[in-house]
Amino acid sequence: MQPQKSLGEKLQSLPKQVLYLILIVLTSVPLFFPVKVPNEPLESSIDLYASLMAVKPGETVLLASDWTNSTRGESLGQFNSVMRILMRHNVNVVLYSTGDAQAPRVAQDAIAKLNQERMATGKPEYKRWENFVSVGFFPNGEATVNGMGTSVRASFNGKKDFAPGRGLTDVYESPILKGREKVSDFPLLIVVTGSKTSNITVERLSGKVPIAFAVTGVMGPETGNFYQSQQIVGFASGLKGLYDLEGLMEDGVNTPDKSGNVVVKSSKYGPIPGFPGEKNDGQGRAYYPTLHFAVGLLILAVIIGNVGMFLSRAGGRK
Amino acid sequence: MLIAEAVGQQYRETGWFGVLFTAILVSFLLINIQRAKMGKNLYIRRIAGLNAIDEAIGRATEMGRPVLMVPGLSDNVNAIAVQAINIFAYVSRLAARFANPILLCCYNAAVFTLAQEVIRDVYQEEGLLDRFDPDSVRFVSDRQFAFAAGVSGLILREQTAATFFLGEFYAEALIFAETANSIGAIQVASSTEATQTPFFIAACDYVLIGDEFYAASAYLTRQPVLVGSLVGQDWSKLLVIALIVFGTIFNTITVQSKTTKAWDDDNGVYKDVSERQNDPKQSFIQQLATPFLPKMEVERPKDPEAEANK
Amino acid sequence: MNLILQSKVPNFWAQPFNSQGLWMGVIGGLIVGILLFLGLMFMPAQFRRPVVTFCTFIGGAYWVLLYIFPAPIDLQKTEMPTGPVESIGKWLTDANPVVVSISGTVTAFMLGLGIFSLLSIHLKRISRRQKDWVYSVVLLVSLVSMTFFGYADYISRQGPEGTKLDLQANWGLVNYGRDLLFDGLLQQMDAAMFSVIAFYILSAAYRAFRIRSVEATILLSTALLVILSLMGAVAFIWNGSVQHLANGNDFLLNFQLTEIAGWIRRTFETSSLRGIAFGVGIGALAMGLRIWLSLERTGGGA
Repeated sequence: MQPQKSLGEKLQSLPKQVLYLILIVLTSVPLFFPVKVPNEPLESSIDLYASLMAVKPGETVLLASDWTNSTRGESLGQFNSVMRILMRHNVNVVLYSTGDAQAPRVAQDAIAKLNQERMATGKPEYKRWENFVSVGFFPNGEATVNGMGTSVRASFNGKKDFAPGRGLTDVYESPILKGREKVSDFPLLIVVTGSKTSNITVERLSGKVPIAFAVTGVMGPETGNFYQSQQIVGFASGLKGLYDLEGLMEDGVNTPDKSGNVVVKSSKYGPIPGFPGEKNDGQGRAYYPTLHFAVGLLILAVIIGNVGMFLSRAGGRK
Repeated sequence: MLIAEAVGQQYRETGWFGVLFTAILVSFLLINIQRAKMGKNLYIRRIAGLNAIDEAIGRATEMGRPVLMVPGLSDNVNAIAVQAINIFAYVSRLAARFANPILLCCYNAAVFTLAQEVIRDVYQEEGLLDRFDPDSVRFVSDRQFAFAAGVSGLILREQTAATFFLGEFYAEALIFAETANSIGAIQVASSTEATQTPFFIAACDYVLIGDEFYAASAYLTRQPVLVGSLVGQDWSKLLVIALIVFGTIFNTITVQSKTTKAWDDDNGVYKDVSERQNDPKQSFIQQLATPFLPKMEVERPKDPEAEANK
Repeated sequence: MNLILQSKVPNFWAQPFNSQGLWMGVIGGLIVGILLFLGLMFMPAQFRRPVVTFCTFIGGAYWVLLYIFPAPIDLQKTEMPTGPVESIGKWLTDANPVVVSISGTVTAFMLGLGIFSLLSIHLKRISRRQKDWVYSVVLLVSLVSMTFFGYADYISRQGPEGTKLDLQANWGLVNYGRDLLFDGLLQQMDAAMFSVIAFYILSAAYRAFRIRSVEATILLSTALLVILSLMGAVAFIWNGSVQHLANGNDFLLNFQLTEIAGWIRRTFETSSLRGIAFGVGIGALAMGLRIWLSLERTGGGA
């Protein structure tokens, strides 16, 4: 007969299936009972928001969409928030991807959904060709971004997108790309990614164009390096960054709300308005409470394991 | 015009310092490769993860279960993929000698072709070509999570005794590591993405951190070229440390101090201003490394064809 | 097609559409390619290594030259380079899209080799009715159907009417097929696999994070502080408590959770990651140099 396990040993050997079941339950609960969690946005998120809002209406920005549905938990929400800000600000977007062949399709599907949302509220459609073009996927990301540092026009040579009534047409015939030959002709380059394409971009284009990132939580610490050395103007990291962005879209920066309170203060900027009354909430609001439960369970599991270890040691010494 | 020709656009943006620094690093590497070739005995410290390779393969041989290798998720045949294949060539050599089956799963088709050739050559050099199974080196998928699912399935079905995850890994790193851990396989791992290293450390037995991965081939084979290159890398790191110290001191002095001059971009001169703190972008180090000199007008003849097509 | 660069303003690497220069370039390139291919096939074995070394050197030399050779300063499209240095610089810069296209095309062709490997393994498994051969059937059916529907959907979106397919109401069978396979299956399975990581993180943390030494204690407590700072509710309560206790004392305000976590990120985290990045970067430079100069002997000879 097997000797009975001590409490310490039991605590150290909880079945994985039990942990997984508890995780499923805990992460499901907030989805049915949404809660608004108080939050103080990080400085990097505020800088990202300020950079997006500083782009003048009618300008064109480069947006590298290097995420797919595998990281949609964070990246889709970040992409939606960034696009909402740009759309509402009447900024044009040149969409390209160096990360994944699926990425352009996924980004276009997301834009289509955002367009439906816009048109449902009576806003004009964010039109392909006139407001955004999708340049497509570049298999050799490093070489392509290298080339963009020299000439965006040469890098995008031969790339086509759908022009209304004309079918596939050279992207440089689009009104939004006219006169924008070099990367320095764009006021901002944004990378929404779940992979190392952010590193590739900043290594090759830093200093030539203001760069902003929206990365997954795992990429956050690495991206912080570039932010600290001022090689990028701002970034949103993971679900926290997304929640920050959604909050900033609602409250603005140094801008009083209806009751006269300034929710988000920053000594770096003047008043930057939000978009109160419009749809700003998305995945951040939906999933941020879930993060609390998941992380709480993680911490509890680590505590249980360590308590079990100490009990086992104490029992062994006796 | 001569100055315009000599000082290229890239030097006006990112300066000559970066190129000079790279040239110094390259010379360090080449000098030490030469030193090693001349027979000088160069020391490399012990790396636990690499010592464990022999142990892992021995264990797999005793258990009669295969060895699994994954050279990472490189999009192209880059330095990381080649380094991973080199290490796996060593692993395969040992496995071939012990008649241990191997499985090498490739994410990228180009890496797959390279790996297949290298591993076949290894078996041929050992005189054991009959033991080489071409299907042991396989292309699984170039989709990240399809690859992760495929490799995890292989680990579980084949019940691999030893797994080697060396190269570029991203989010799927933990999937591999936990799957192999669940069947009790001994694991040696390394990711060039620093963000994945913690996941490997939590789940794997031995982890090579940072550039221990690049030291691996020198450590295992002790070829003079590789050992010399490794020592050259160490010299380069010392230079980087010296520059960090130098840059910190210089930046602290210049940024913290006050100035009465400001750069006038429009006129390209320094103009007088009332005393203010130095702009970090104007510090000596910033100007040395990334000057981003203002636009320079250069007189050139017009291209008639380009003018006509404007 | 990008490899055959067409340009309204001709340069060495690109000619106007359907021009004599373009066709001469295409035919010339084809002839040179075939000759090179035949030459390589029938080359004696002792010349193979020098040829590989030469080709590797030329391939890498372009990127090195592009990096260090002075590029023309602020050269406009309508200007001509002056002097030999500017002319060579422009020639190198103009070659960039071509080189990028070549590498992209070669990568795409390599995919064919990968698919050949997949087909070889799985068809063998099906024909011999080996263990789990049914899954091989599933794989091959998925491969064929995704290729068919994906390509058919792409073809249907060409032409002036293609943009109408942005609206689901205008979809045909192939569009629905692609949507089912791509958005309905592939994307969801991708997301599911990524979600599995959450469970693995939990089990790995539970199993591995033990306070066995002083270093492990420091690691765990630091990680705990950073993780807690990600939780807005916890940060709100902690910060609020510290602000209440501090009562205007600036020094005590440094003990807010966001301040502590920010300090950890700015000091320990950033410097450690930078150190690793420097090492990895120098290692990659060394590796790249060895490959370029063919100092690297692949094969791990012991």
